Amino acid sequence: MPVRAVAQWLPSGPVRLLDGRLRLGGEISATAGTPADGTFFNYTDYERNTLRTFRAAVTGLWQPAERLAFLAEVRIDDAQSVTAAAAYIRVRPWRGRPFDVQAGRIPPVFGAFGRRAYQADRPLIGYPLAYQYLTSLRSDALPAGADDLLRMRGRGWLSSFPVGSPYAGPGLPLISAFKWDTGVQARWLTPRLEAAVAATNGTISNPRLGDDNSGKQLAGRLAVTPVTGLVLGASASRGNWIARTVPVASTARAQTAFGGDAEYSRGYGMIRAEMVWSRWDVPFVSPPPEGRQAIARAAWIEGRYRISPRIYIAGRADRLGFSSITGASAAIPLPWDAPVRRYELGAGYSVQRNLILRGTLQFNQRNGSRLDRRTFLTAQAVWWF
Amino acid sequence: MALSPRVRELTLRVRGLTPRVPAAQLVVTFWLLCFLCVPSVFSSVLSSVLSSVAVATATIRGRVELRQPPRDLEPRPSAADLGMPAAHGATDRRRSVVYLDPAPRAAFDLRDEPRARMDQRNETFVPHVLAIVAGTTVDFPNNDRTYHNVFSLSRARTFDLGRYAAGRSKSVRFDKPGIVRVFCEIHSHMSAYILVFSHRYFAVTDDEGRYRIDNVPAGTYTVVAWNGAMPTESKQITVGDGGEAALNFVLERR
Repeated sequence: MPVRAVAQWLPSGPVRLLDGRLRLGGEISATAGTPADGTFFNYTDYERNTLRTFRAAVTGLWQPAERLAFLAEVRIDDAQSVTAAAAYIRVRPWRGRPFDVQAGRIPPVFGAFGRRAYQADRPLIGYPLAYQYLTSLRSDALPAGADDLLRMRGRGWLSSFPVGSPYAGPGLPLISAFKWDTGVQARWLTPRLEAAVAATNGTISNPRLGDDNSGKQLAGRLAVTPVTGLVLGASASRGNWIARTVPVASTARAQTAFGGDAEYSRGYGMIRAEMVWSRWDVPFVSPPPEGRQAIARAAWIEGRYRISPRIYIAGRADRLGFSSITGASAAIPLPWDAPVRRYELGAGYSVQRNLILRGTLQFNQRNGSRLDRRTFLTAQAVWWF
Repeated sequence: MALSPRVRELTLRVRGLTPRVPAAQLVVTFWLLCFLCVPSVFSSVLSSVLSSVAVATATIRGRVELRQPPRDLEPRPSAADLGMPAAHGATDRRRSVVYLDPAPRAAFDLRDEPRARMDQRNETFVPHVLAIVAGTTVDFPNNDRTYHNVFSLSRARTFDLGRYAAGRSKSVRFDKPGIVRVFCEIHSHMSAYILVFSHRYFAVTDDEGRYRIDNVPAGTYTVVAWNGAMPTESKQITVGDGGEAALNFVLERR
């Protein structure tokens, strides 16, 4: 019996140019699902619905020398906008030491999910609430008192406040998974330990290309791998989050965040979990009894199990909560934004190594707003090279 | 003349009788064996002799030259890394496989269940190309400090070994002829080929591109040179009794 001299068609590697010094990789994803119906559960700070989008991304790596590289990623979302999601230089100063410095529009140091930039790296279509869900806080407009903030509960996709910008606009997530910050970052990597620090213009919730907040954010992450397959990480960040254009007298204008993340994989299964605690200093003109702070807490856990070489199943449970404040017109303290729960179940099918079809069912519940429950059915195709 | 496996097995069985067996039983057993097996031994020996007379074998050897050396496999560029990716070993993509297509009729008489090995070392599959006969079990030991997840979605063999750590090994049996592309789910630059043949008339080239296929029955064949990074090339050749034929290939990207 003759051997068939054809294999499945697959690119064996990224596209190479300039004698291999320039490498290009890319990803195209098309996502379609049931309409949001005005609930905006899955809207991003780019005012797009993550469950109904088309994205093409090309990543280029030019490595003129062994210890010097330039990286850039260009994204086209919904065939409308072209953004430079990443553009930075990477240097390894010492040949024998696993120490790297990156400068420019750099990947986030905080947490673990933010660096899963490609759809193919994620088992589900929807994003964790901490990285996507828009709270009502805005960097260019501030509430004068607790009532202004409570009035915007559950309206993060388009909030408005009396201090600062007079226009309505989208609020901030705890951490933005869609924009990367600009600054300098250093990393030390060993087989069991990874330590990274970064100084950037924006904050984890509002990454910036230019500095509009008169201060730098410092962020760091420490991750250990005690045994193969288990990664435990801890992150912290602090930086000014309020735009200079907002007239505030207070000097307290920082976003402070702490996070913990864990990943364990073995055999055909994988579990990831992450917790984020974020506090924004809010310079209320008339502060509530709880003080000039708004705190948010998020936690999620997701799992993936491969039931055959081509098929996997996955699920995520996700929760986002907020600290309580007391308004002048309210008798009892209320969370300053509407708490949200999200559950997502899905399955993926690998048509070939670099072409994946997925489907998910996402259930959302928001306590304390008019549009409080929605279930979304979504399908996605992801192709990468 | 070498004994056929069946004769050898019978000889060993006879030699295996020990002096502790009673003489009468030994005699009975001997005559029983003679009665039952001599005809088959005779026919086996005769068949072996006849086949060696009728099907004289030859050798096909030569060299596969790659005009453009294949480049090493590199990871997919990722802007999300916090620094330089970990160094990985170079993949030896120079090796090609040369095989007869179609194979001689006598080629399908395979009785053993061979094993082969494909290491995962320095984030590389070693060897990059493995040629085996159908029925071979391939071990995939992980010799790295990180997880690997070997899988294939090829039609000839679809499998997924899951994630397993250093020092552990998992195996897959390949029963269906064809080309199996092997990948690691975690490391995008790790890939390899397993060519599964229904016969044993194939060879993997050495460092210099040389190959040698022995025991080819006299006849006319199509010889195919295959390399994962280049288009396949095939040539016709006629080999005579006991001879040695040279056949060289030049593979280049079109």
